[in-house]
Order: sequence, then C-alpha cells, then structure tokens
Amino acid sequence: MTHRIASNPIHWPHWVAALAIIAMVMAFNPNWAPAQEIIANSGLPKTAITRNEARLFFSMKLGIWPNGAPVQVFVLPDDHPLHREFCTQVLGLYPYQLRRVWDRQVFSGTGQSPVTISSEAELIERTAASPGAVSYAATPPDNPRVRVLTVK
Amino acid sequence: MTQATAPCCDANPDPPTFRGCCIGLSVATCLLFSGATTAADSFWSTIQLHGFAAQSVIKTSDNRFFGDSPDTSFASTEIGVNASVRLDPKVLVAGQVLARRAGDMYDGTPSLDYALTDIALIASPERILGIRLGRVKNPLGLYNETRDVPFTRPGIFLPQVIYYDKVRNIVLSSDGAAVYGSLYNDLGEFSVTLVGGWPVLDDNVQWTYLGGDFPGTLRPNGSVWTGSLWYATVTEQLRFGLSGALASLRYAPHQNDILGPGQTDIVYGIASLQYSARRFTLSTEYGLEPVRWRRYGPLLPRRKVTSEGYYLQGTYRIRSNLEFMACYEEGVADRDDRDGSDFAGVTGGLVPAHAMFSKIVTVGLRWDPTPNLMLRAQYQWNQGTLVLSQLENPDFPRQREYWNLLALQVAFRF
Repeated sequence: MTHRIASNPIHWPHWVAALAIIAMVMAFNPNWAPAQEIIANSGLPKTAITRNEARLFFSMKLGIWPNGAPVQVFVLPDDHPLHREFCTQVLGLYPYQLRRVWDRQVFSGTGQSPVTISSEAELIERTAASPGAVSYAATPPDNPRVRVLTVK
Repeated sequence: MTQATAPCCDANPDPPTFRGCCIGLSVATCLLFSGATTAADSFWSTIQLHGFAAQSVIKTSDNRFFGDSPDTSFASTEIGVNASVRLDPKVLVAGQVLARRAGDMYDGTPSLDYALTDIALIASPERILGIRLGRVKNPLGLYNETRDVPFTRPGIFLPQVIYYDKVRNIVLSSDGAAVYGSLYNDLGEFSVTLVGGWPVLDDNVQWTYLGGDFPGTLRPNGSVWTGSLWYATVTEQLRFGLSGALASLRYAPHQNDILGPGQTDIVYGIASLQYSARRFTLSTEYGLEPVRWRRYGPLLPRRKVTSEGYYLQGTYRIRSNLEFMACYEEGVADRDDRDGSDFAGVTGGLVPAHAMFSKIVTVGLRWDPTPNLMLRAQYQWNQGTLVLSQLENPDFPRQREYWNLLALQVAFRF
C-alpha cells in the first residue's frame, strides 16, 4: 500500500477526471458559452470590432465610427439577463460600471447615455432601422439590415 | 477649512466680459454646427433630457446638519434637469439647471450648474482629444463633477472631509475652457483634463476663508486652474487619479473696512483610488489643502494652514439593486494641530478643540426598487464638528463633540 501511494500519490476518482475533461472541452468550445453577438446596422462598412472599440462605444466615450458616421447605441435595461451577460462576457465590465460611466457623463455635460429598449426583438428592430446603430443580441438575428460584428 | 458658511447662493459674475465671451462662443458654435447639419432627423434624435429629484430627512442627536436636524430636518432637497444634443458626432452641447436646498446654507434658488459645448478634435479608439467651452464642472476626485446627483454618490452625503458641503463653490465649476485627452491601449486608459477659468463664488466662500461676512468683496485673483490625471485598467477594475485646484482670491475692502486688501491662496490636491469587483467596490481618497492668507492687516495676520482629510469606503452589492455601504473618514483643519488643542489654547477656549477635526463612521443601505427610484438610509457616528457649517451652528460652546446622525432619502430620476 505504502509503495502504491508513493508512486501514484493522487487517486482521483474517475468521475472527477471525467468532469475535468468535460469542463476543458466546454471552456475551449466557444459554442458552449451563451452566445452574445455585437450587432450593427448593415449600412456600416465594418464587419469586425475590437473589444476596446466595443467598450468605448457602449460606454458612450466614443461617438463616431471610423468612416465618420455617428454611433447610436441601443441597450436593454441594466437588470436584463442578456444585458448583464453581454456586459460581463463581451465587454468585461459589470453593468453597474457602465451605469456609473453613463451617469458621470450625463450629469456633468460631458456625454450622453445610450437608448434603453425593453425587449431584445425591439432592440434588433431599432438597430436595423437606425444608421450607425450598434447593439447586441443573444444569437445572430435573422434580419438583412443587421450585421453581426466579429469581436477581434 | 475651519470656518463657516452663509445663507446665500448668489454668484458674483466676475469677470463678466470673459463669462459673456464663453457663453457667446458656445452659442456661436451651436449656430455654426446646427446650420451645417443637413440631416435634421439625426439632430433631433440626439436630444436627451435627464433629471433627478431627491428629498432627505435628517435627524441628529445634537448639532444642526442641513437644517434643524435635532428636531428632524426636511431641509435637504436636490432637483436637477439637463438637456444635451449632438450637433455633430464630434460636437455636444449640454446644460443643467440645479435647485438645491441645504439647511441654512442653500435656499433652493435654481442655478446654472453647467452649460458647455464639447468639441472632440480627435476621436478614435486609440486616442480622444477635445475641448469644452462654457461653464464646466471641475474634475476633482471621484465625485466632484456629479456631487449633487444622488444616484452617483455612494451615500446620502459624500464624505464631508473631502467634499465639504459647507463650502462647495470654489471647486464646483469654472467659467472658462477645458482641454481633455485620453489614450487607450493594452494597459488601460490614461486621461488628463485641464480646466482654466473663473470660479462661481458665493458668500459661503467668504465665510469659510475669512471667517465671517465682511463688508468688502472677495473676488478671484486671476483664473482658477483645475486638473486631473487618471489611470484605469482595461476593464476599469482599478482606477487611480490625482487631481488638484489652484486658486487665488483677492479681497477688495469696503470703506472703513477692518480688513486690508488681502489675498488668499488656495491649493487643493486629492489622490483617489477605486477598486471595482462584481459584488463590491472599495474607494479611498486623500485630500490636502494648504491655504495662505496675507496682507489682510492685523485682524487676520499672515499665516499658512494646511488642512487634511481622508476616507475609506466600501460598498457591497447584496443584489443588483440592494447595496450596503460602510465608510470611515477623518479630517483635520490644521495638520500641525490635529487634536485642535493649539487653536483652542490660542482662542482661550472660545473655539473648542473638537471644532478642528471630524472622525466619522457611516453605515448605509441603498435600495433601487425600480431603475428610476432609489431609497436610502444612513447612520453616522461623529466625533468632532469640523464638517458642521458655522452658520448653522454659530455658537461654538453649544457644539457637541460626540453626535449621531440618521438620514433617509428618496430619489427619483428620468
């Protein structure tokens, strides 16, 4: 017994190993995480966006696309599950941090807040209808006037 | 600082020519860009209106804080309305009117909080550079720019040892111009803001820096400079800032004035650090304020005093709409006389030692039942009376060293 333990000191039960493998597969498989897509009005020439750009647009610090078009940001309410997921998973920010930045700008005259929409369906509608619009969706929307932006 | 406040919020518009210039420039920019805007629809769609209204109830065991608090005071009301419009992706025009009632200190007369045109000269994901013209809020510490907006504060009152409510206007806003810039890279965000202009002074400033309401007038001696430097990590988990203000005030004596044509030089520096995690936020700030008085004559001899304050504050989000807050703060009127005993000795006990410092422990709860409604409750244990307004508590011997405070607040926003 002593010899066995010394040569192979860690006796993980099989189920632990199995769970570890599943966890690793899930971690490396991008489809596992609930998908959130950054979407934009299809009139924009852009197909990809950096995470830094996304943070600047959604925090309302940068209001202009590289082609000079104004950025129009649409979001769901702070406590909406999709908003929370999007903030933390895609932007790497907590919803309260975004709110803090928006409030600081709105109440000091140095910026504006995004337009809050109550449902995801309407969010996609408004993005489709507004030139320069940027928003997010749980899955790629089936709307020709909306384009999914790849996050680089 | 050590002294008191007066019941007035009338600004001395000084100098009017410069002020007129700034506002004129703002209006001109406004017209220029509105004329250039061809897509009228996009112009109208960028108009935003926001506002807030808050009412607090304050009860103290002793000492008056925002009104007759020993008998329960309702004299704390804050109402603000702002409008903004993007004339162009790079041009923002914004203004806010604020009505603030704060005990005997402010009577609720509406005032222009800010009115500015913001022009971005460079706006890219790597760097942003721009200017603001008009009445701009001074970028001091974590909260000065939005100090009167209840939703942006961590408690019903901001930590008083850094954000004195008994004297606000010298640091509140400036009529002038601001230059701001930010750099974004893999390390995070580096920002700098520099504001030059004239402060919007009121009688509170005179009471605080001269210790009374004298017949002459206290005016800015040239422009006031305010600036800030901030570093934030990529996801703003950690923010570190240094900010400061340089101001000089000149006293113009009245006929037969007991004070001479003196000058008061003020430096105010704040170091700020904030850490934000999913459930909690930790904030700490340290402020230093050397003030120098000279040429006021024998009644107010030449002297230099440095006041100091710091606080450590934590907020914990129990749920996304329920937050617990705890704070410890400490401030001294003179860092070379921390317990106030020297000053008490010099004044022969007329000013008690405990009027020269404040140590405060605060606990509070914030509940947002809806995104537009906030309810707050807060309890404070105080030692010392530095943060009290002398106007509200003119009789030093009646100021109690140990006192407690309970405050409730309801706030609405749109």
